[in-house]
Amino acid sequence: MIGSLLYYVLYPVSRYLTGRRSEASAVVIGTAVCDGAAVTSRRFSPSQTALLDLWLRPSSRGSKGERIKDPNSEKLDDTRPDMDKALLMAALHKHTQNDTASKMREVQPAVMQEETGKSHTPQQEEVEAHRQGDVETMHHQLLYCKEKTERESISPAEDWSLENILKVQFICLQTKDSIQELSHPPQEQPQTQNLESLSPKDRMQETSSAAENQINKTNKEIPQTAAEPECWDEYVLPNTDLPQGEASNSQLAFVPLLSNTETTRQHNAQSSLHFPVGRGLVEEVQCPLWHFPAMSYYPPEEATVPFEVIWRVWEKLDESAAAEDSTLIPFPLKKVSVEFTVMSYNILAQDLLEANQELYIHCPLEVLDWSYRCSLLLEEIEKWLPDILCLQEVQENHYHEQLHPALSQIGYTCVYKRRTGTKTDGCATCYRSTCFSEVAATQLEFFRPETELLDRHNVGIVLLLRPLVSHGSEVKEEAPPLCVANTHLLFNPRRGDVKLAQLAIMLAEIDSVIKRCKAKGEHCNVILCGDFNSIPHMPLYQLITTSELYYQGLPAWMISGQEDLSHKAYCHRLFSPLWPSCLEITNNCQYTTVNETFKCQNPGKSRYSHDFMLQLRFCPAACVRPQDLKLIPGVTDITPEASKGSQHFEQRFGHRLSHRLNLESVYKHVLPGSGRPEVTTLHSEVGQTVDYIFYTPRCAPDKKAVSRLASEGLKLVGSLSLLSEDVLWSMHGLPNHIFPSDHLSLMAKFQLDVDTV
Amino acid sequence: MNNKFDALKDDDSGDHDQDQGSPKDCEKEKTDDEDKEQNTSKKKMVVPGAGEHPLQYNYTFWYSRRTPGRPANTQSYEQNIKQIGSFASVEQFWRFYSHMIRPGDLTGHSDFHLFKEGIKPMWEDDANKMGGKWIIRLRKGLASRCWENLILAMLGEQFMVGEEICGAVVSVRFQEDIISIWNKTASDQATTARIRDTLRRVLNLPPNTIMEYKTHTDSIKAWEDFHGLVNASGGR
Repeated sequence: MIGSLLYYVLYPVSRYLTGRRSEASAVVIGTAVCDGAAVTSRRFSPSQTALLDLWLRPSSRGSKGERIKDPNSEKLDDTRPDMDKALLMAALHKHTQNDTASKMREVQPAVMQEETGKSHTPQQEEVEAHRQGDVETMHHQLLYCKEKTERESISPAEDWSLENILKVQFICLQTKDSIQELSHPPQEQPQTQNLESLSPKDRMQETSSAAENQINKTNKEIPQTAAEPECWDEYVLPNTDLPQGEASNSQLAFVPLLSNTETTRQHNAQSSLHFPVGRGLVEEVQCPLWHFPAMSYYPPEEATVPFEVIWRVWEKLDESAAAEDSTLIPFPLKKVSVEFTVMSYNILAQDLLEANQELYIHCPLEVLDWSYRCSLLLEEIEKWLPDILCLQEVQENHYHEQLHPALSQIGYTCVYKRRTGTKTDGCATCYRSTCFSEVAATQLEFFRPETELLDRHNVGIVLLLRPLVSHGSEVKEEAPPLCVANTHLLFNPRRGDVKLAQLAIMLAEIDSVIKRCKAKGEHCNVILCGDFNSIPHMPLYQLITTSELYYQGLPAWMISGQEDLSHKAYCHRLFSPLWPSCLEITNNCQYTTVNETFKCQNPGKSRYSHDFMLQLRFCPAACVRPQDLKLIPGVTDITPEASKGSQHFEQRFGHRLSHRLNLESVYKHVLPGSGRPEVTTLHSEVGQTVDYIFYTPRCAPDKKAVSRLASEGLKLVGSLSLLSEDVLWSMHGLPNHIFPSDHLSLMAKFQLDVDTV
Repeated sequence: MNNKFDALKDDDSGDHDQDQGSPKDCEKEKTDDEDKEQNTSKKKMVVPGAGEHPLQYNYTFWYSRRTPGRPANTQSYEQNIKQIGSFASVEQFWRFYSHMIRPGDLTGHSDFHLFKEGIKPMWEDDANKMGGKWIIRLRKGLASRCWENLILAMLGEQFMVGEEICGAVVSVRFQEDIISIWNKTASDQATTARIRDTLRRVLNLPPNTIMEYKTHTDSIKAWEDFHGLVNASGGR
């Protein structure tokens, strides 16, 4: 009864004050209230929670020591204009009048009683004294007063002071509000809408149970998020240069964790959290405690400075394998190795973004703005500072106006190749001049007008770099060269045949680079990266990673596997030969003729590989019977079609593509731990892996120990973790305020052995 | 007076074919016919077609078959060896090759010869007289594949011995087939070694395959010795 009375008095007041709060710039800086109620409070609006607290506290306990009245509150109270009080009164009366008749009868006498009680001077003094103390105690005092007034005879003419009682209430509300302010971030307010819609009485009864429900709800969310520890598990203080928008974004995503924090405080004796989950909350999930060094109940003085969430963490490969390797070397030899990092990144050309806006309808407009994306992009590059940077979808004007100058400034040398045709973007391969020197650069165009198949305007860049190894002071040692190939294959999901031909050109160029190195007695390691517009384990990927592909009869869409088009009535299938001999690339993905430089060494030489010769076997010119060929029965009386040998040959070799590079993907396409698929690109239609870094892996240890001291191949040391689709959607998809493209960057660190004399 | 061609290496190994009836009598006669032959071949010099892949050298296919029962004499040459055709490009090569039966399917005592245009498949040719050949004896069933590998490597200049290669021969015999590759300078051991190594690589031979190098001088001597015996006994 008294409770409801108090409630109806305080509710309008608190409503009013809540409304005013935005005006009152001098919001009281409150002190921490560390008890269980804080958990419930973060889900409610300040006013609601204030009421909730008022009701919960008398029943809990009256420990004064826990709460400290803020010294500023009195001052604030004093300085508040009288008009406020008048308005307060008006609001109070208005509310009570509008309420139901029965409630009015209850409320008004109660108010009268209260006021009467306050008018008693000694009591008032006591109340005033309690203003220095705990709000809760104050309420006890008020109740006490009321009881007293019932028993005591009071002069009705006595000048009762509404002002005073309102002051008390006001202070208490202020304090509560300020506590609320501190105990939860303001952006959580929208979540309380549903509760506000409840009738006051209902809410009163439901508050405690609702609070519990909130906790449960929150807890149910946590196990889901906790399954992604690699994404969330680190927070660092804002020593980096991320924009503020990013912080608010990350905070939003961390709502469940914030509640978790508070739950932790509630159960601070426990070492871990147990969450009831599942239907009927029958299951229990245990979660380790979260630690948030950067977070405090107190609003930090630099309240606007964000903390950063590490969405993507650097994952090191198990070093024990390396230790094993070294023990296999029978005697200690001087071994020098260099480490370098490679990043591949499709940065989403602005022209393509604008041409395909339907893919980005989920994005706020500001994250689609190029200047904003560009700044995020450069920040990301500067943050990781890869030694080799392979970019795709680099728009020509952006490259010349922004990216190239900015990258040059931070020490990169860049090679840019724009796509042929009308598309404005292209590929850029950049390397840090302090780490590598350029031996050769080839810009590949996959558009070959003489070949019908190759009518698409995609490009690639193949660089031959030599790592600069400074040993000691000035001594530079010869490190084996590194072939870095960067490409962006055709997107069209239906044209796997074109993609294969484009890839074959790329592989042939890499092959020729390797051969050139081999001619000089050097082993060349390969990095092949970019946007292949093909998903893992589908035929194009298989060709790269397993070095061969039997393609005869495969549907063209299946090559990349981006979309399942098996439902289509008609699908184009692949048949041998995939491309005509005039492309001068064999089924082994090698150039049929030696490259230009080799030709220069052997002027006039027409050397043809076995495979190339075979490519021409059934070319139209070869199928015409020579006019001067005499017919000798049993010798020259056969036709090419009738040749059993050729059929046999076709079956054995004609339907197969292969290459002689040994390539392995850095990423394994599932997230370690959760086993969920990684995605490298995400937009409104799809999230999948289409970007890769392939590399020449290090040979088996036994072989290495026998052959050379410096082993051939690259050792993968670490990589930058990717994310799963749901995590990216929790960040509102791509691009967003953290990741500026609809692709994620891929990054890996490699170790390369250097020969020492 | 065509008997000069009798001096064509009668047989790959040049020693075991007792019944080889090639007359040897006029082998030293370099007649005007030979000059005439060279002139005509120059006249007919083939060139690569437009857009075709030119070979480093032009080549000529030859085919020979021992005529059973017929006594070996100077007149039998025309029946024994026939020039099938010359080509200058990869495409032209396939035109001939595709219309020729595989060596493994040849019947009887037959040879295919593929020599650079202007070099006759005979020991006495200027290009051959100081030369020799690598001989590989193959069990039946391997000749077609090995022959194809061999000539593709030769046409594609895979031997990397400059001008040294003269030509290649596949000989189909009763119980075995023999392939050989001829070079100009038998005494150039670096070249012959290199040819051997390339052969091993391109032919993808079984590991126990025996390879034998034989100079044409030895071949001629063996042939003469053998036919000398024949002549003595047969009273030719």
